Amino acid sequence: MDNIKIIVFLCNWGPHAAFQTMQENHDQIPPEVKMVRIPCIGRISKALLFKAFEMGADGVALVGCQSGGCRYGSGTVNGEINTADTREIIELLGLGKERMRLATFLPDQVEKLHNFLTSFSLDIKQMGPSPILPDAPFKAHSLSFEKISGILTKYNAYGCQDCGKCTSACPLALSGKTYSPRLLVNAIIGGELESEAVKQDIWSCLTCGLCYQICPSDVNFPAFIGDLRAEIFYADNSERHQAHGGFFQSLMRSMTTPALKPQTYQSIPEDVEIDQKSDTLFFGGCGPYFDVFFQNHYRVNSSSIIHDGLRLLNFFDIKPGIMEHERCCGHDLLWTGDHRNFLKLARLNVEAVKRRGIKELITACPECYRTIAYDYPKYGIDVDFKVTHLYEILENEIDKGAVAFKTLDQKITYQDACRLNSSPEIKDLPGKLLSRIKARDFAEENIHQQTSVCCGNCAWTGCDAFSKALQVKKLRQARGTGSRLLITSCPKCQVHLRCAMEDPLLGPELIMEITDLTNLIAKTIYWE
Amino acid sequence: MVKQQRKEVIITGFGGQGIVLAGKILGMAAVLGDKRQSTLVQSYGPESRGGACCAQVIISDDTIQYPYITCPDILVCMSQSAFEKYQAQLKPEGVLLTDRDLVIMDEQKDHFSIPATRIAEDLGRKMMANIIMIGFTIAITGLISSSAVRESIKSSVPPGTDKLNLKAFSKGFDYGMAKLKGLRKKASGRSGVLI
Ligand code: SF4
Ligand code: SF4
Repeated sequence: MDNIKIIVFLCNWGPHAAFQTMQENHDQIPPEVKMVRIPCIGRISKALLFKAFEMGADGVALVGCQSGGCRYGSGTVNGEINTADTREIIELLGLGKERMRLATFLPDQVEKLHNFLTSFSLDIKQMGPSPILPDAPFKAHSLSFEKISGILTKYNAYGCQDCGKCTSACPLALSGKTYSPRLLVNAIIGGELESEAVKQDIWSCLTCGLCYQICPSDVNFPAFIGDLRAEIFYADNSERHQAHGGFFQSLMRSMTTPALKPQTYQSIPEDVEIDQKSDTLFFGGCGPYFDVFFQNHYRVNSSSIIHDGLRLLNFFDIKPGIMEHERCCGHDLLWTGDHRNFLKLARLNVEAVKRRGIKELITACPECYRTIAYDYPKYGIDVDFKVTHLYEILENEIDKGAVAFKTLDQKITYQDACRLNSSPEIKDLPGKLLSRIKARDFAEENIHQQTSVCCGNCAWTGCDAFSKALQVKKLRQARGTGSRLLITSCPKCQVHLRCAMEDPLLGPELIMEITDLTNLIAKTIYWE
Repeated sequence: MVKQQRKEVIITGFGGQGIVLAGKILGMAAVLGDKRQSTLVQSYGPESRGGACCAQVIISDDTIQYPYITCPDILVCMSQSAFEKYQAQLKPEGVLLTDRDLVIMDEQKDHFSIPATRIAEDLGRKMMANIIMIGFTIAITGLISSSAVRESIKSSVPPGTDKLNLKAFSKGFDYGMAKLKGLRKKASGRSGVLI
């Protein structure tokens, strides 16, 4: 029999009393069950639940007190929500939702708890081991001066003239944070990499690239930070900077297991036409996972961007295929320093695309686009198919003519996406497409790539009060134009900005409608 | 080879729009590229000083005995006055093509329109509206093979302008193809993305 591992998070109060009685009675507890005693199931977040799967658990149970019996009030309810979301996510991931369960007990329900553990254990044995291979443990190594110096040279950081232009453009510095790319570069050159403040700042940078656009010495600051993170990843505990408890990084690392068969795109709306024999592929991205993870907040609907992207292709008679088992492109692992797992994902993706004989890969996600088109080749992954952003196709087809747009009786404004801006051939496309849309008015002042305020976060890392301050600033700026409809082109911008709108105090003055450019085009375009 | 139908085409507009050149390009393409027969009759007179101007082109597999057209199969109109003068002559099943900004119709007739002059202006040369119109006409009617027309354009336009003119042709052609695609979509009940 395979070595099955079941993690049972067991609440200290009700169920633990029952568990103790089981032990005292010498009841046979299935040997696969590894019990972790916890103060309350309400505090076991989705990140922790999923972490167990990432580390190789075959089944996870959250065992708490019955509703109404929670010592802290909301524990059971939180446990229910987190379990429901995690189940949906592991179902999407191809693990099967039955590997995660919630059960609640009163202290005297000894037999019931025993039955639960026995039957859960049997079910998991029947399902067999989870395909996820835990990441190999890595040896913490100390930083080598040569390596750091090499990175400094590679991105021309020694050329810094101390002019301070970068800091004047940096959205983080402008949000009031004591943070300066200029000082950071100088501190690292000065050998202060081990200082806590420097380490903190390395994880704060949004890698938005606004500083790089303005730097007279061509210091590629975001790329420098990216490589630096990869260097300190093993020396510093990078996980402590990750937002959402590191959930998304765990999710992406799990996808590096070749045997895992993610089911991300098993449910495509019926009206969307796909052709699995086509040599054009639509790469959706991780939107469906965001939608589940944030389903109780923010009205996030990233999947709709993917569906409308496909519909727009259909509108122009393009019927692409989609990958049966699409994995994450690896963007967030790359930008949080986990290069080893990024490369694993990149290789798996490219192999899968090549196996299908794909000539062109189309995506509507700025991060997938930039990562596959630029970062795969940069880190040595051979991409021998064409990578196209959906906007390129839309601009090209709309430019042919014979299509028109329904009038939008609204003033619109736009949130720039940093990953589009860093790709020269597509950075002007949102502006072009927006100018075609028939809105009552377009507050163009926000589109200029140099001055636009960032959405406040990147790669699910370093989120703090200043991220929020940035988002608040952005939304105030957007509303200040008189517009109540903000157009975005990256699903994450939406997640971040919608989060700020939920602020209990500021929320009401920040709320505005947000829609993705792809959704907006799909909604308004028609054949003349 | 299967015999193709004889087609009679009238291209009209006002002087200076390159109407006659458009006719010449079509005729040459049919003869030199598609190896068919063709005639061109151009009207001279007050037209060349800005009035209504007209080129009559016949394309056929057989010898053309008489080059004048009374009832065209295809009518291309690039001005209001030309449209008013010639529209009644179009065969009932004939195809009408217009420059959308230059021809305004009181009663809606079945037709295909393109903002050719506007597109030409966007390309930087208003003069090329005729070439855009040719591209559009070829896409909609399939009158001549597009490769033959491209060759014919290359040899007819002033030296050094062929690239731009071919681009203009492609613009008109793509517009026409997009238009047909849109019509197919609309006929199948889908004019938008979500409906
Ligand atoms: S803008 Fe460039 S040269 Fe100026 S301080 Fe920043 S990194 Fe140094
Ligand atoms: S990449 Fe963006 S956040 Fe990072 S230092 Fe430059 S401007 Fe600031």
